[in-house]
Amino acid sequence: MNKWKSQVKKGTLSFIVLNAISKKELYGYELIEIVKNSTAIEIAEGTLYPLMNRLKKEGLTSSKWVEQESGIPRKYYVLTKEGKIILKQMRAYWTELEQSLTKITNNEI
Amino acid sequence: MKFNKISFQDKNAERVYDNYFKSLNNILRPILERDKQDVLMEFNSHIYEFLQSDATEPELNLLLNAIDKLGAPEEVLKPLIADKLLEKATKSFNPIHILKALLLNISNGFSYVIFFLLYLFLGSFIFLIFAKMFSNNVGMFFKEGKFQVLGLIEDKSNYQEVLGYWFIPVMLITTVILYFLITLLLKLKRLIIKK
Repeated sequence: MNKWKSQVKKGTLSFIVLNAISKKELYGYELIEIVKNSTAIEIAEGTLYPLMNRLKKEGLTSSKWVEQESGIPRKYYVLTKEGKIILKQMRAYWTELEQSLTKITNNEI
Repeated sequence: MKFNKISFQDKNAERVYDNYFKSLNNILRPILERDKQDVLMEFNSHIYEFLQSDATEPELNLLLNAIDKLGAPEEVLKPLIADKLLEKATKSFNPIHILKALLLNISNGFSYVIFFLLYLFLGSFIFLIFAKMFSNNVGMFFKEGKFQVLGLIEDKSNYQEVLGYWFIPVMLITTVILYFLITLLLKLKRLIIKK
């Protein structure tokens, strides 16, 4: 069961992250907090940064450093135009998947 | 933008912080300086924001929690380092970088195994160049006007060696050209990503 859970989490994490930054641009720590609070997914927080690197390389997100009064700048992430298109497709696919899963899980055990 | 250290009241917290960044620096050593700075700044920002999230806890506890929750850096940063190292290697064409990058990426797909074998194949060319210096059984051999063997044969009596000592420069140039071609392919492979 735990193995399955971790597979599901791993498979959906980029979808969750893209959704989170689709509303407004977020910096790393804030993004992790949102992912944790809204999905109860517990991840080693450091794993988010390689994931953000991958999404950026794939052209789905972009990022910029913003100076802060504290002297410790924040790196903000935002969806690119391509990222928005892909996220739309991902959402459509997710809805489709959800419907078929509902059908199948309605069978009594 | 540059890396600014977080200041601590608690000397022990400062020691833990300095040690953590020292080891992070070491783990990130293989990748390009600008990528390294970027990751260091990002982890620094993460820790700083975490410390700000709770004013009631002692600094040291908060810092230890932040570090714990980030996870072991050599584990969590592995995919990032593997990718950045590959980027660096295909830019510099440095064989040591390429070897390191391939070994780190070998679990990321079968194609990296193929690339590894291709480079190994080139290694055998270098071996042949050295072998040619000591043995006449190495060369490009023809039999009745047709190409038969490139390399080492046991009995060359029925074969004709066509290159002589030109074998060495010819193989050297071929190796260099193939090395560039394979590395360019590797670069292309890194850039073409499945979505």
